[in-house]
Amino acid sequence: MNIPPYPAGHSARKRRSQTIAFIVFRVLSLLIVLVLFAILGFIIYKGAGVISWDFLTKAPEDGMTSGGIFPAIVGTLLLMLGSAIVAFPVGIMSGIYMNEYASRGWVVKFIRLMTNNLSGVPSIVFGLFGMALFVKYLGFGDSILAGSLTLGLLSLPLVIRTTEEALKDIPDGIREGSLALGATKLQTIWKVVLPMGMPRIITGLILSLGRVSGETAPILFTCAAYFFPQLPSSVFDQCMALPYHLYVISTSGTDIEAQQPIAYGTALVLIVIVLIINLAAGFLRKHFEKRLR
Amino acid sequence: MEKIEAKDVNFYYGDFQALKHISMSIPQNKVVAFIGPSGCGKSTFLRLFNRMNDLVPGARLDGEILIDSRNIYAPGIQVDELRKEVGMVFQRPNPFPKSIFENVAYGLKVNGVRDKEFIAHRVEEALKGAALWNEVKDKLNASAFALSGGQQQRLCIARAMAVSPSVLLMDEPASALDPISTAKIEELICEMRDQVTIVIVTHNMQQASRVSDKTAFFYMGEMVEYDDTKVIFTNPHKEATQNYITGRFG
Amino acid sequence: MVKFVETELNELKREVDQMWSLVNSQMEQARDAVINLDKNVAQQIIVRERRVDAFELKIDSDVEDFIALFTPVAVDLRFVLAMLKINSDLERIGDYAHGIARFVNDTGAATFDAGLMEELRVKDMFSIVLDMLAELQEALRDEDPVKATSVLSKDDQLDQINKSSASILSRYAKENPDAIPFCLGFAGVFRKLERTGDHLTNIAEEIVFYIDAKVLKHTGLKDA
Repeated sequence: MNIPPYPAGHSARKRRSQTIAFIVFRVLSLLIVLVLFAILGFIIYKGAGVISWDFLTKAPEDGMTSGGIFPAIVGTLLLMLGSAIVAFPVGIMSGIYMNEYASRGWVVKFIRLMTNNLSGVPSIVFGLFGMALFVKYLGFGDSILAGSLTLGLLSLPLVIRTTEEALKDIPDGIREGSLALGATKLQTIWKVVLPMGMPRIITGLILSLGRVSGETAPILFTCAAYFFPQLPSSVFDQCMALPYHLYVISTSGTDIEAQQPIAYGTALVLIVIVLIINLAAGFLRKHFEKRLR
Repeated sequence: MEKIEAKDVNFYYGDFQALKHISMSIPQNKVVAFIGPSGCGKSTFLRLFNRMNDLVPGARLDGEILIDSRNIYAPGIQVDELRKEVGMVFQRPNPFPKSIFENVAYGLKVNGVRDKEFIAHRVEEALKGAALWNEVKDKLNASAFALSGGQQQRLCIARAMAVSPSVLLMDEPASALDPISTAKIEELICEMRDQVTIVIVTHNMQQASRVSDKTAFFYMGEMVEYDDTKVIFTNPHKEATQNYITGRFG
Repeated sequence: MVKFVETELNELKREVDQMWSLVNSQMEQARDAVINLDKNVAQQIIVRERRVDAFELKIDSDVEDFIALFTPVAVDLRFVLAMLKINSDLERIGDYAHGIARFVNDTGAATFDAGLMEELRVKDMFSIVLDMLAELQEALRDEDPVKATSVLSKDDQLDQINKSSASILSRYAKENPDAIPFCLGFAGVFRKLERTGDHLTNIAEEIVFYIDAKVLKHTGLKDA
């Protein structure tokens, strides 16, 4: 057998270019982490000072130049809950339908294309649509209901997709095993497929909650109140929300100087909420997976 | 007595004819092995017996398949009722993400059995029948995934047997297992033949010759030869069969 | 897989063929030793008997290896089993040649009575046995079951000659009491040749048995 003419020194050059490439990758990744830490550090530095028990539990006072952000925290949590109630059942059921029932024809392809498009629509457009449909046409007015519905629509594509992906990864052998024992398709989905997909579905759901908590645009025209110090008493009430509150006091406040620390404090609370949600997602996922092992 | 009878079965995936004019009968409480190269249609044929191919889009059957003299493709046949009668074990062990107990009880529960005592009794019987009871009796509530591959496959056999089928289909049940686990599965097959009629698809020729009473050789969607296993492995009547089992396959 | 199985099988067949040639030449020399009362030839046979035994052991162990390593089925299985049996038949035939040589070597007689030899048809007996040996060797080489079965009728002639030899020898012994030990020994030669014929019949059946499936193959069951 002939040995091809390997050029001298090629091997060393190969190794050198690999080393250089890896160094570049590593530096870039570290840079991103640095930027993240910078943002977090900046917000903690600026906002930690105003955090206190009163800040978390009291309503804004003196034209929002002092007092707390309690109504905004409650409002954000309520909107998250509301959007979850709207999006989860619909999203999970569509995901199940698309992966388990619909044969892989053009209908499913079309639905999938549409959901993907839906997730590309800017959130402000959702806001406008929500205003037109829920606030005006259905007459809900600016309310938690209209806001929840709009946010639910916004998170729907993500929920559908994570459900679909989670179910797609479950091997067909498991489904066949169940069907071969005389189980119906519904029994198979309910007793075997869903429990197996649960960890990933739940993670997807919680991540979508995190996204909802930070949205401003969709609630701008449908729900959020500029100032609404008392807590809402029904779903037809308006409410405050952290991201909108942040927006309001940093752009159209009465006293920018006095409100700046409050803005940073609000941002910090929002970030912490999102962080807690993401940690909870990871924890729940681990918990469910452990139950499966 | 004939347990399963196929009468001039043709089967199509869309335009592709996967099975051509197959007629055969499988006697009760015997072990019948299907052998043949990959893609010869043996698994497809096996899956007709519990209508597993119903799930495949574009699949079409003509001809008849009778189990206990009843055409299982006749209108009015409930597929889930049929599958209680005709159990199946797959190539890869596929336990459910449940406890060992729940895995075996699953078939009973989805078929409406509620009597807890009966279920517990049947689970124990099935696990004993699959020679798994002694290994798992102290950890029935542990996850089925904690078992080894061979144990998982025996669990799947117990799960299939728990609903008391009269036919057990096995689609390469030992191809993913080590030799010791394989030997255990083969032993089970020999023990279970008193209770069920077993049809097994295998790529392992020695396995077919060890466990089966009759062997069918499939090639390109046709059943080339079907005879007593002893005849197939000592003096097959068709050249193609001989070439295949002696490894001289062109 | 196909190629090296084929190589192993051909090697086995070649070994059996060699063994066969060896046994054949032993039997030819046994004929010469008897007809010419040649003690030198007889001794050569006795010496070479060890080679026949060694050959038998070699083929035995090769068959054993093949079965253990390749777990043959169908025609392959029948082939190696046939080789195993033919091997032991050939070894027995070699034994008989050896026994005949011993008789020639040990006999006190200076010459054999030519008239008696003629009457006993010793030459015919030997040539029938040698013909059968040669024809069966060819049948195995060509895998020809028709040729193999054609030798079966010759075995009857051997039985016949053997049977008549008994009465001829007993009459001769009565007439020549001195020759009784010789007659007893010579009867042994005939018995050995007759037994050789039986072993050759077995070999013919082994060849047919192993080629069996190929026969079917040629007779139109080939619609697979």
